[in-house]
Amino acid sequence: MSNPARPSLALVVAGTRREVSDAELARALVEKDTWAAAEAWHRFAPMVLTTAERALGSKSDAEDLAQEVFVRVLRNVMTLRHPASLRSFVYSITIRTLKSELRYRRVKAWLSFGPTETLAELDHSTPDLEARELLQKFYAMLDRLSARDRLAFVLRRVECMTVEEIAAAMELSPSTVKRSLAHASARLARWIESAPAVAELLDGRLGGRGA
Amino acid sequence: MTEPDRSESRLAALAGLVRLGVKAPTPLALDRGFASLRARLANGSHEPRFRLRVLALAAWLLACLGGGALFAARRHGLARSPAPVAVSRVEGGAILEGGYLAEVGRAGVRLYFNEGSQFALMPGARGRLRSVTPEGARLALDHGSASFRITPNLDRRWWVEAGPFVVSVKGTRFSVRWDPTVEEFVVRLTQGKVVVSGPIVGDEFVLRPGQNLEVNLSKHESVIREDAEETPPGVAVTASAPVPSASAAPVPEPAASAPSVRASAAPPTAPARRWREAVAGGQWDRILSDVERDGVDQSLRTLSNEELFELADAARYRRRPDLARAALLAERERFPSSSRAVDALFLLGRVEELEARPRAAIERYDGYLALAPHGTYAAEALGRKLILVEETAGRDAASRVAEEYLSRFPSGSYADAARALSRAR
Repeated sequence: MSNPARPSLALVVAGTRREVSDAELARALVEKDTWAAAEAWHRFAPMVLTTAERALGSKSDAEDLAQEVFVRVLRNVMTLRHPASLRSFVYSITIRTLKSELRYRRVKAWLSFGPTETLAELDHSTPDLEARELLQKFYAMLDRLSARDRLAFVLRRVECMTVEEIAAAMELSPSTVKRSLAHASARLARWIESAPAVAELLDGRLGGRGA
Repeated sequence: MTEPDRSESRLAALAGLVRLGVKAPTPLALDRGFASLRARLANGSHEPRFRLRVLALAAWLLACLGGGALFAARRHGLARSPAPVAVSRVEGGAILEGGYLAEVGRAGVRLYFNEGSQFALMPGARGRLRSVTPEGARLALDHGSASFRITPNLDRRWWVEAGPFVVSVKGTRFSVRWDPTVEEFVVRLTQGKVVVSGPIVGDEFVLRPGQNLEVNLSKHESVIREDAEETPPGVAVTASAPVPSASAAPVPEPAASAPSVRASAAPPTAPARRWREAVAGGQWDRILSDVERDGVDQSLRTLSNEELFELADAARYRRRPDLARAALLAERERFPSSSRAVDALFLLGRVEELEARPRAAIERYDGYLALAPHGTYAAEALGRKLILVEETAGRDAASRVAEEYLSRFPSGSYADAARALSRAR
């Protein structure tokens, strides 16, 4: 039997996630509320980390990039016109930062007389060594693409975004995105064809359909 | 299928692999990431890294453009095609067929590669050079400790396997210890970056300089320690067991005489516990001297189940096969129903190998596989049998073992060797 004088109890756990909308979170970030940065990180970092890791082929580089993205987000959040579009804002900064990173890698590779560094660290969820080898070689090929072509390719093929979405995220026209995609796909297909080991492994994985 | 269709399928397959290969970050990884971000913000390092990079690059470019040598070098392709990786020198031993590194003397084996990388097997350790490609090498540590100094090169890739763990490497300095008897794996990273994958640590773990990773499979425990004096909260992580309360001290160099972290953190203990720590810390001589002081026969009669096992370990690591065999046989005789008695069969196989008695070793491995077909050492026992059968009965006989191995352990440490044998059949 309940005691009517007894106050109702609620479980309060310190540091729990806030149930706030993106717009409220954006306003809190502008106001520099203490909880807001943590909430923004936990809400958006998975998206940033996953996109970055897929584009860069390296978990640790993705972690570094995520830090960079959030420094930029926190610094520029006051420029956000529509607080409700905070997620898009974070994503567009992620894409811009990725583009900068990929361009930087290419410049660095050019200056150091060698190919860009890709320590392909993903795909450890499977002990499939062949898959790892394939990914290594695939990222080595991606490293040879321009930053724009590579990013467009990854966003289209891996992130499954539409051309229009890619165009908006990369601040390009849809026709430029289509050209980039066609260029990237053609070059990758050619490089795969000229790497028999890769082609063979891939065809094997496709169950001989390519044979 | 037309050519465009095939290209399309291949690209789709690769994109699918990338999608599958990336998993959402764990809550723990998110917490760690936020701690780093908070530290960065607290330090006032708000300036975007990329802007600083651009400035640095611009300065560098200006300096280089003055000379004009850069363009000439690129046009002539200088430094674009580094020499393929190859072993240039072996010290303290030899490379046997199958890449096995045989120690001559007691100083360990050192491999020197033509591009400057080094691989040092500590005394008593067993390892293999599994493959060398123009881009790098794949090394396997069967047991014991090894240290690595990999020359940084963007073109190259190195892999180190230790039991079920794989460490992938670019340029770096680190050491690895793998003890199959206690199923303990330790990586200590001095410089650079390595990625570890394997059981318990999960899908992957990126180790940064100053971090040590210790995994104990039998305890289902993994601990990450930082060398830094101030260990931020959340850096010491266990997979399923609590983090030991030891301070975040660096893991000593494998096989060094200093006690391990656990040893230094543990309170004074009973002999059995102290021996276990001595085994983990590579203090084999301490165990052997204890036994010699008490008398070998007396020890074999009175030591506990675990102590006998630890004595066998110490004796094996100190190349005392007679004593190791005696301890393992005593284990089987005195504790016939214990799981250690079954494990002892596998280790007896290793002892026979130490004495270059491959047929006896095969019998021991067969005995172990019959009693424990899914046991802790089953993959290793079948893998060792594969190698020994090839040595003693030829490739044809070994190819049958290879097929069995591949069907049971397609991703095992000996899978490459097994595939090579199967193909050659």
